[in-house]
Amino acid sequence: MSPARIAIGQYVPVDSPVHRLNALAKMGLVAAFTAALFLVHGFAGLAAAGAVLVAAIALSRVPAAAAARGVSAVAVIVAFTLLANGLRWRPATALVRVGPLALDAAGLRTGSFFALRILLLVIATTLLTLTTSPVEITEALERILRPLRPLGVPAGELAMTLTIALRFVPTTAEETERIVTAQSMRGARLDSGGPLARVRAWVPVLIAVFFNLFRRADDLAVAMESRCYHGGEGRTSMRMSKMRSADWVALLAGASMLIAMGLML
Amino acid sequence: MRNPRVLTMVETALCVALAVVLARIVVFEAPQGGAVSLEMLPIMVLALRRGARAGIIGGMLLGVALLIFKPVTVHWAQVVLDYPLAFGVLGITALGSRAWRAAVAGGPTAAAVWTVIVPSCVLGGLARFVPHFVSGVIFFGQYAPKGQPVMLYSLLYNGGYMLPATLLCAAAAALLLPALERAVPAAGRA
Repeated sequence: MSPARIAIGQYVPVDSPVHRLNALAKMGLVAAFTAALFLVHGFAGLAAAGAVLVAAIALSRVPAAAAARGVSAVAVIVAFTLLANGLRWRPATALVRVGPLALDAAGLRTGSFFALRILLLVIATTLLTLTTSPVEITEALERILRPLRPLGVPAGELAMTLTIALRFVPTTAEETERIVTAQSMRGARLDSGGPLARVRAWVPVLIAVFFNLFRRADDLAVAMESRCYHGGEGRTSMRMSKMRSADWVALLAGASMLIAMGLML
Repeated sequence: MRNPRVLTMVETALCVALAVVLARIVVFEAPQGGAVSLEMLPIMVLALRRGARAGIIGGMLLGVALLIFKPVTVHWAQVVLDYPLAFGVLGITALGSRAWRAAVAGGPTAAAVWTVIVPSCVLGGLARFVPHFVSGVIFFGQYAPKGQPVMLYSLLYNGGYMLPATLLCAAAAALLLPALERAVPAAGRA
């Protein structure tokens, strides 16, 4: 690992109508968008979905480059989809031939359709995390899980655990980075040698990181207990996220439009 | 003495935070180009120290956290299969939890490391591989032309990074856990 900063999180904190929309409504819209992508029959449907996505990105005021950041992670999958569908072994007709392999027009069209669908899906989910803070997503998840409480699902406990986890990601990243730098200055070779040698070099770093982690857990548990936290039912929240009527309108109108688009195009 | 429920919840949260950080650190580049990290290690450690409930909850929340921080979704089923489910079943590592705690009570030995930690971690890694494999079969079944060996594709794609990641995490857990038990013992804190 290089001592460069460990980049965590993608949320872009700007004020926009998309940012102001409740996380639950945004998650519902992304689900409807996904359903629409799997319902469309042809390129016209994908073009319409792409136009909706471009409008949403423009409305969100996040840089287009940030929205497209997730695309690099699926480059191999997109390339596979294109080639697996487009390449043929000695076909009768072909666009380009390289030895016995050839690019087939119909296969390439199918591959492009699938590849475009993947790209739109990745950009849509990236846009959700670019415009919604992790805490808002956690609150929305708690709300989604709340109906499962009678079945024994500890919705409140899960949400609290995730909230603490997300809160401590930057702190843990900074601490890990500090220990990595300290070990590197002592001559530890964390990014050279075979896999087992690297793991062995990482162990002193991990021992220090885990040691601090369990110590911090002790302190945090004491702090929470001394403030009478006991988990379970009846816990209130300082900040309550509520679905306003504008959120409901955006969710219902947007989801209906997307599903109709998926069915018609 | 802490309230065990609160302490376990906080330890779970902090292990999830550490796993998110470790997910961003590439320890080793696999031969086919996949990045291998130690993201599973905190959940494996948590499962062995605190048992199945903490391991499964920690794993599921890690899946959700990774979905929040770096979502890569190429088909709908993947949202559940590749994230909360795959990391949740990593909690199966806790099958060795009781044996490890018994070994710790009597002083951890090299034999306990090889007979408890390593097999438990490998089992946890294998359990995580299953949902990824199913997700891969669905993905390749949907996007590859008919008649292609989708199971083989999924096996190669997912096995390519899961096998080295599991072995590296098992090795790291074997080196780490005995030292960790001496420094911050799990028993007596909750």
